[in-house]
Amino acid sequence: MASVAIRGARKSFGTTAVIHGVDVAIADGEFVVLVGPSGCGKSTLLRMIAGLENITGGEIKIGDRVVNHVPPKERDVAMVFQNYALYPHMTVAQNMAFSMKLRGAPQAEINERVKRASEILGLGPYLERFPRQLSGGQRQRVAMGRAIVRDPQVFLFDEPLSNLDAKLRVQMRTEIKELHQRLRTTTVYVTHDQIEAMTMADKIVVMHDGLVEQIGTPLELYDKPANQFVAGFIGSPAMNFLKGKVKVNGSATFEGPNGVKLPLSQAPSSSDGRPAVYGIRPEHFTIADDGAEAEIVVVEPTGSETQVFAKLGGEEVVAVFRERHQFNPGDKIRLKPDQRVVHLFDEATGKRLTA
Amino acid sequence: MRESHIALLRAASTEAKLLLIGIPVLVWTLLPIYHMFLFAISPKDSAFSGKLWPDHPTLRNFGIVFRQEHYFLHHFWEQLWNSLFIALATGALTLTIATGAAFAISRLKVKGGRTVMNLALFTYFIPAAFLAVPMYRTMGVYGLLNSQWSLIIAMVTIATPYAIWVLKQTSDNLPVELDEAAVMDGASPMQLFRLVYLPLIAPALVAIGTYAILLAWNEYLYAFLLLSKDTAITLPVALGNFLSADDSPWELLMTTGFVYALPPAAIYYAFRRYMVSGLTAGAVKS
Ligand SMILES: Nc1ncnc2c1ncn2[C@@H]1O[C@H](COP(=O)(O)OP(=O)(O)OP(=O)(O)O)[C@@H](O)[C@H]1O
Ligand SMILES: [Mg+2]
Repeated sequence: MASVAIRGARKSFGTTAVIHGVDVAIADGEFVVLVGPSGCGKSTLLRMIAGLENITGGEIKIGDRVVNHVPPKERDVAMVFQNYALYPHMTVAQNMAFSMKLRGAPQAEINERVKRASEILGLGPYLERFPRQLSGGQRQRVAMGRAIVRDPQVFLFDEPLSNLDAKLRVQMRTEIKELHQRLRTTTVYVTHDQIEAMTMADKIVVMHDGLVEQIGTPLELYDKPANQFVAGFIGSPAMNFLKGKVKVNGSATFEGPNGVKLPLSQAPSSSDGRPAVYGIRPEHFTIADDGAEAEIVVVEPTGSETQVFAKLGGEEVVAVFRERHQFNPGDKIRLKPDQRVVHLFDEATGKRLTA
Repeated sequence: MRESHIALLRAASTEAKLLLIGIPVLVWTLLPIYHMFLFAISPKDSAFSGKLWPDHPTLRNFGIVFRQEHYFLHHFWEQLWNSLFIALATGALTLTIATGAAFAISRLKVKGGRTVMNLALFTYFIPAAFLAVPMYRTMGVYGLLNSQWSLIIAMVTIATPYAIWVLKQTSDNLPVELDEAAVMDGASPMQLFRLVYLPLIAPALVAIGTYAILLAWNEYLYAFLLLSKDTAITLPVALGNFLSADDSPWELLMTTGFVYALPPAAIYYAFRRYMVSGLTAGAVKS
């Protein structure tokens, strides 16, 4: 096991720059998730750690060693690919044993390790099968088994669950997390699914257009997003954003679209009249007599909760309620944001204004 | 219910139409072979009788051929062996060169690899018959005339571009992650080639190997030009020599030809599964 340090890492393909200086420190044994929209450079960064892409600038360290020019096989990292990349002509056991074989490990040790890994992953009955004879979830496990057998310094996962159906995805999510709690191997996990990121990570790195937007624990990102991008990316349904101005006279309020008054807990008097973006999560609305008037557009019950899409000052917002209200499209309701968890962002830069 | 019924009928009528085209084509193709067979089992005097089945079918002709009991057949076994050796050597060399090239071009992405392949394919714009004379000159310069290696080299030259192309198309369809997984597992390029690449393109190798072997086995023009000694020539060239006599022993010519046609038929039959999948691989992007 080892720590991973990425400093000022940059990557260009020809003349197109894809990663523009990324700094991430990953502690020994940590489970770090790289998350961001498609094309933001997550896979590229992961492949730079693996050694499958060379590093245009900056430095990547695994343990105490700078690995910029170290070939993949000497980095001692294992990677699990999105499409599993199992060797079709080898059995499950041979797939898992392949790396050890290449290293010329003694057969007894190989057998021992394959046996242990297959026990951990419940692959015992399938060892003599070929990949084409396995289900998607089983293939996924074999791909992980191949990584586990090597007992590497670092595990790298590139969207390993995206080819599975929703139910299996949730199950494998838990399994991977359990596996990490058991083995404690440093892990870098790429996904574009923020729920996966939230549920699995010790630490999340939110990326956007080749830059890191914020690094933090799942709850830090949820409670204190550093900017509007992170605020909108983390959490589902996504946070509502309303443009307007901060008003401070005595107490602070926010004047939203079409003059809607929204509560603010506090704001420095100097910020009076400042244009800003008001962010409020759907789950932080309540129905209250002193709330702002909104007209219901669509009601979507999921059973455990109800999502309500409504027009607030002409802007569509979404609110989520766990309790059952009688809602109908066209109804007027009064939505009140919980002022303790309101987020304010700078309108121009998107930076967080509230503490 | 009704609709599926109609669809079924429609499919059946399509099949019937295809069969209507297929049967005449099959008969047309098999006719010369049947003719050859007919010659082979006819006694010398009734070979040209024009009957659909000889009055006294006989295997005597085969005996004459196998015991080399005719002036033109004195080196039958040796010439058959020449054909076999040249065909197998051509197959082996073509496979070696083409797999290496396809691996380098498709998997290692060697710079300029595609250009090399396109240049090689470009040679097919010139009919092989036109290249025969220059090839003859070249072999003469290297003192290879009358050596079986001259024919082997010529056949490999002709077979390789197509072989590289087919193998490259096949390799392009293997996911790149397989190579990356192997690299992460610590495989060197040679290990990747041997342990991952070769097993995965094995069906295409069978198809291409068969293609090259049959190309050399069936070759006449180059064999005729490059080899001339009776003990060096291949069987097709020897068969051609039959025609130099005033009264060619047609029944023996056809018997030998029939014997010569059997191994390719057997190979095709044995590997038919690979022939279809291997030669059409890459025809459509899957
Ligand atoms: N080999 C390459 N050559 C040129 N550009 C590339 C190459 N690989 C990736 N890119 C570009 O780099 C950017 C980042 O790609 P990357 O695969 O890292 O995205 P990602 O965050 O993993 O996205 P996704 O969630 O869709 O997998 C993209 O704009 C992509 O077009
Ligand atoms: Mg990706």
